[in-house]
Amino acid sequence: MTIEIIEDVVRNTVTRITRKDISQFTRTTTFKDLEADSLDIVQILVALEDHFDIEVVDEELESITNMGDFIDYINRKVAEKTARSA
Amino acid sequence: MNLSDKGKIVRISVDAMGGDFAPTEIVKGSVDAAREEGVEILLVGPRDIVESELRKYDTDGLSIQIVQASEYLVEGEHPAMAIRQKRDASIVVATKLVRDSKADAVVGAGPTGGVVASALTILGCVASLSRPVVGGVFIGLNKKMVAMDLGGNVDCQPYQLLDFAIVGIIYAEKYLNIENPRVGLLSIGAEEGKGNAQNQESYPLFKDSGLNFIGNVEGHDLLSGRADVIICDGFVGNIVVKFTEAMGNATARWLEKNLSGKIADEELRALTMAYIAETNPAGALGGGPLLGVNGVVVVAHGRSKAPEITGAIQQARYAVETGLVENLKVELEKAHQAIENRKEQ
Repeated sequence: MTIEIIEDVVRNTVTRITRKDISQFTRTTTFKDLEADSLDIVQILVALEDHFDIEVVDEELESITNMGDFIDYINRKVAEKTARSA
Repeated sequence: MNLSDKGKIVRISVDAMGGDFAPTEIVKGSVDAAREEGVEILLVGPRDIVESELRKYDTDGLSIQIVQASEYLVEGEHPAMAIRQKRDASIVVATKLVRDSKADAVVGAGPTGGVVASALTILGCVASLSRPVVGGVFIGLNKKMVAMDLGGNVDCQPYQLLDFAIVGIIYAEKYLNIENPRVGLLSIGAEEGKGNAQNQESYPLFKDSGLNFIGNVEGHDLLSGRADVIICDGFVGNIVVKFTEAMGNATARWLEKNLSGKIADEELRALTMAYIAETNPAGALGGGPLLGVNGVVVVAHGRSKAPEITGAIQQARYAVETGLVENLKVELEKAHQAIENRKEQ
């Protein structure tokens, strides 16, 4: 799976749950910019975990500052899962 | 198997560890419900704890099973994060039983945020709704008024408040038989500019929605009958509910003190109990449904004792049997479509 596909899924999931226009999503956008509260964030994490069959570790999210970091993190988790199942 | 088919026995999963008096009162209320309501009960929690409570009762002939969950939520945790960190928490397991069609409804006595977060992430919202809402008739002194949100969402955006209004209208029409319900936005003054930023941003959205919006209403309108559906965020709603309950209890004590010896004790007791029931129907009914999720979820009061838990289970059964979720889905779709059509005109 390419990072472009992952980015697309993350972008669509985040904007669908926060009800923001997709144009508001860039790599420098933050959850705060999207007015996402804790319930939005939990819904986003659960949706992405289900979609990619990965497990997000909440503590690992602490260093994430924007959507670019978030996409890279999800990409890393998907790559780890792929490597494990190879 | 669809357990909610007509004629089937309704199966309800109960978070045995939720609420201030768990598991003792939750288990007792569930046993009473199984006996009185003829429902099947799945008690969810650490097996040894729940089993030791259940052994106190004669459950012969009753359909009660224990479903193992190794953890449970406690007050003070951040609910949204707690359900991710405690993936085997009793409310999480109980809600998954509904998702997996192993139960028709779930009842949880709190923490409210945990019940809401579990429902939202596990069952999801019905299409076109962003958040579920806790609400319904909340005071017996005004039985034809629906208030939302009563504690499910402490921070709300204007479009979410509009969603709650649509749910409130459907509830008022379908369950209270009110035609074209009047919607009011709870504020600190009737004029358009009154209220906090959230109120001021919400007002024009409501005004242009095509709903029967009568404008801002004030605290006294919760009892005046001016609006059929009153909308506020869960922060305000929860404070209002708890204050109302406390006021009812305090007034009842005041009546007892001041009327003692002036009227018969039995009459006085009946009067104060009736007064408490009129000012605290949420307590008397055991809580309220969480509206807008893909499944029947009843949020029982955190201070629920056995009778309230029985009442909450009764509500869950009623919601299953009346097709509450399906009704909401259909009506929400229609309402949102009408708003969209209006925007396009």
